[in-house]
Amino acid sequence: MTVGERVAAGASPAVAIARRLVIFVVSVGVASVVVFAFMAVLPGDPAQVALGVNATPELVEQTRQEFGLDRPLVTQYLDWMGGLLTGDFGTSYVTKEAIGPQLLDRLGVTLWLVGAGMLVALLLAVPTGIVAAVRHRKPSGVIVSAASQVGVAVPAFLAAIILVQVFAVQLGWLPSGGWTPPAYDVGAWLSGLILPAVSLGLVQGAVLTRYVRSAVLDVQREDFLRTARAKGLRPYPALLRHGLRNAAVPVVTVLGLQLATLLVGAVVIERVFVLPGLGSMLLDAVAARDLLTVQSVVLVLVVGVLLVNFLVDVLYAVLDPRLRRS
Amino acid sequence: MAARRSALSALASAAVLAAPLALAGCTAGSTAIVAGGPSTLAVGFTAEPQNFDFTTTDGAAIPQALLYNVYETLVKIDSDGEITGGLAESWDVSDDRTVYDFHLRDDATFSNGEPFTASDVEFSVERVKQDWTISLQSGMDVVDRVEVVGEYHARVVLSRPSNSWLRAMTTRIGAMFDPSGVADLANDPVGTGPYDVESRRRGDAVVLTRNPEYSRPGSPRPEPDYRTVVLKYYADATALNNALLSGGIDVISGVTAPDSVPQFEADNRFRVLQGTTNGEVVLAYNNRRAPLDDVRVRKALTYAVDRKALLEAAWGGRGELIGSMVPPTDPWFEDLSGEYPYDPDRARRLLREAGHESLRLNLRIANLPYAVSSAQVVAAHLKKVGVTVDIEPLDFPAVWLQQVFTDGDYDMSIVQHVEPQDITTFGDPEFYWGYDSERVQRLLTEADTAPPREYIADMRRVARTLSDDAAANWLFLFPNIVVAKNEVRGLQANQVSESFDLTGLRRQEPS
Amino acid sequence: MRGNLVVGGALVGVVVVTALVSLLWTPLDPQAVDASVRLLGPTSQHLLGTDKFGRDVLSQLMVGAQTTLYVGIVAVGLAAVAGVPLGVLAAMGPRWLGELVLRTSDLVLAFPALLLAIMLAAVYGASTLTAMIAIGVATVPAFARVARAGTLQVLSREYTLAARAGGRSRWWIAWRHVLPNVSGMVVVQSSVSFAMAVLAEAALSFLGFGTAPPTPSWGRMLQESQELLAVDARLALVPGLAIAAVVLGFNLLGDGLRDRFDPHLEARR
Repeated sequence: MTVGERVAAGASPAVAIARRLVIFVVSVGVASVVVFAFMAVLPGDPAQVALGVNATPELVEQTRQEFGLDRPLVTQYLDWMGGLLTGDFGTSYVTKEAIGPQLLDRLGVTLWLVGAGMLVALLLAVPTGIVAAVRHRKPSGVIVSAASQVGVAVPAFLAAIILVQVFAVQLGWLPSGGWTPPAYDVGAWLSGLILPAVSLGLVQGAVLTRYVRSAVLDVQREDFLRTARAKGLRPYPALLRHGLRNAAVPVVTVLGLQLATLLVGAVVIERVFVLPGLGSMLLDAVAARDLLTVQSVVLVLVVGVLLVNFLVDVLYAVLDPRLRRS
Repeated sequence: MAARRSALSALASAAVLAAPLALAGCTAGSTAIVAGGPSTLAVGFTAEPQNFDFTTTDGAAIPQALLYNVYETLVKIDSDGEITGGLAESWDVSDDRTVYDFHLRDDATFSNGEPFTASDVEFSVERVKQDWTISLQSGMDVVDRVEVVGEYHARVVLSRPSNSWLRAMTTRIGAMFDPSGVADLANDPVGTGPYDVESRRRGDAVVLTRNPEYSRPGSPRPEPDYRTVVLKYYADATALNNALLSGGIDVISGVTAPDSVPQFEADNRFRVLQGTTNGEVVLAYNNRRAPLDDVRVRKALTYAVDRKALLEAAWGGRGELIGSMVPPTDPWFEDLSGEYPYDPDRARRLLREAGHESLRLNLRIANLPYAVSSAQVVAAHLKKVGVTVDIEPLDFPAVWLQQVFTDGDYDMSIVQHVEPQDITTFGDPEFYWGYDSERVQRLLTEADTAPPREYIADMRRVARTLSDDAAANWLFLFPNIVVAKNEVRGLQANQVSESFDLTGLRRQEPS
Repeated sequence: MRGNLVVGGALVGVVVVTALVSLLWTPLDPQAVDASVRLLGPTSQHLLGTDKFGRDVLSQLMVGAQTTLYVGIVAVGLAAVAGVPLGVLAAMGPRWLGELVLRTSDLVLAFPALLLAIMLAAVYGASTLTAMIAIGVATVPAFARVARAGTLQVLSREYTLAARAGGRSRWWIAWRHVLPNVSGMVVVQSSVSFAMAVLAEAALSFLGFGTAPPTPSWGRMLQESQELLAVDARLALVPGLAIAAVVLGFNLLGDGLRDRFDPHLEARR
């Protein structure tokens, strides 16, 4: 997608941001309706599921009333949304625990994972992408490009199970899974985060490398860099002095989109590494048909993606000099 | 200058995105945190309890964690299937076998500080009859009343003699509760056991710590060796194995990836214990629905599956062929695994007799490793006799319970039945087997009230009748495979009770 | 680079040919269970050995290619059939319609394939169908955007302007000029989306939300062999490499086609 598409043409950054904010809020509203409707058509009575097989019809009916499942769907939806706005996600029918605190707890784990994965991806992609671009006609550059192509093709969970096998099971350097909160033991937290973050970041890093490469290639073709080179600056200093800011603009867009991919990719990685994040919460809730929890986790993930997109747009308006000028 | 700012702004953008991480990270649970060290034991499981209330939530995971460890029962079952004392030091049975006098220990205390007395027995038994909603609750139907004879003397009067009742009292329905400790069973269990639930982190672990009330000075009950036990939950067998291999846990409570066992056997850091369970892996036939309502078809399908090969392929040859709904630790066990020898020709003949040259049946299974593996072998074997099988893995428990168990909407299913004495389910025509045999129902009722010796003979007759009717296909008995670090001692090879019993575990330094 | 096109085409070609061959012939029955030959290494009879059920890995791999292609074709086909007309409409129709399509596709993008598939599986149970639909729906925005961008580009060219000035209707222009010119970009997008669909299907099968057994699927082969990684890594590596190869193939093919259809696009990507 091109720059012009993402930001309203001709508007000042403030107007563009305000416009995006409205779109973001409306999108969240629509997404919540979609998620709610989706779960409402689910076959099977949540009350029955929660009570198990031996419950009497009276008890099921009583529980339906307790959960408020006997009310019209619109009322249920408004009630749910009303709760969400005050931070109350309700109580799970199955675990009989409040969902909100649980979500917050899980969100923390997932965000650390995504953040660390992003960091790994950036550390991998920025240097290799630049090298691949600067040397794109030399063998080393071609090799880096080819390696990134292969990296893109490896499923993250495959990378994960191989890493576990090598670094946890065979070498015993790092734990095979599990989660220690950083507040309790920073060392254990960090060692537990390394393998999941690398699994997640490796593949995304390979994807990102390609974007960094083509962004840098683009910039290199620009006149001002050619002039700088002509004045005798060597390729890397020239790029550092003049090019990176321009290359950063498309990369940040991709970064934002990738953050969304990472958020969902984390679902699989959490499964492999037994991390108590949003992904495992979602999968456990689906297996237990804990609908209210499924609904809540899906909404959080979707809003997360929308939020990232919104932030990317805002950054865009701030970062892109061409847009600021207009 | 401009260049430096651009590099910074790229970093800043990353920081903006990372900001919520730091915030949320701080709140990321301060629960389920334990100090390591020799007084802590970490045990790995694959099925996590949804909550702690086994009075209204079905499933094996809750009693596995809590029974005998947090909640105690009047009588326990040992690893050979014998009934032994628990909170009752001894008990007497009247001659007509309807009055049970339990003599309780006088030093048991609930974790909330309340002493355990005969009135708690009355409260707990009555509560099963009134407030419990799980299916096992019916085991208490035979109880007429409970009398508090003395502070430590409780009398239970049955409405008729029952051979199965005392055995049922070793399961979760025999758990003893305190009237002031049942307010929030789902989150805050209160029992007399050696451990108390300290914290939990859903999706990760339950932490048990020593119950300070369990062992007072001078009490004959020894304190548990491990001060803290962490029950760690893993989504799949591989993650569980890896955790032990990489030192994350000390014990695997039950291996569900049998082909991985040799790597533990070959490793001198670990000990492997293999024993029996109560878990019959059953290929259920829907006896109510055509064509499986025809005994010839059921027999044909039973002849068509090579159970020895199935056990080998699906479960690495670990487990036992039993041929009936009876585990070897039950007193009336009889090996019926030779009843339907693998005979595809005979299967085809029987099918032809029943008028089916070819058949198409669904196989709605629990989405669990043993069932998914077994189903693929069953499908391959049945294909050879002209039966096409559509395997449909259903999320367990929720979806399987609804579709197969409650609605009875299935042709064949595979699930492991772990409840003790679950052969009695064939006496219930409403059960998902759809099996309605007047003879079996009568035999079961007679057996329960009969004198003990006839009881065993009657139960054998039930098992045999079921086999003759090919009411189901008992594929194999699920093995109990425990793998532990060498220094963990006191583990049981057989898993007969509903509990993963932590009470006898101790640490032995390698010499 | 021509290299991309050749290597990508070759990899994809191998998979397609394998799948086609497996429709008619496999070395052995991929679903035949035989406990006496379980977990064998490569032998003359089983070129890639056997799995824990004694099934022939090569035969399973071949039939697994069918599943992979089937999921990819249906998912990408669904996305293209829905996405391309939407994109063209968004570009040619009234301004509000374009805006609506863009906003909706942004919203759909917030429901990634994996999430949609898990939601669908929660409602209808996991199957190949739910996986295909989820991947397809999640891919619609990609096609809509490509088609819209392509259409806008075509509409600004002289020959379309001339056709308009000549009194041709919108739909004539769409049919005559837009679709032929957009099709190249759609093919490129299909190739890239195909690669993503294969990865998504593998991840879903790995989580147990994909194709039900015993139909061979590479993702499930990988998942089933996970517990045996320490015992016999071959069982995981074979389907793992197959997935990586086909994804690599479609990505390279996409790159190669892109260079061919529009040399300027490569740089802008």
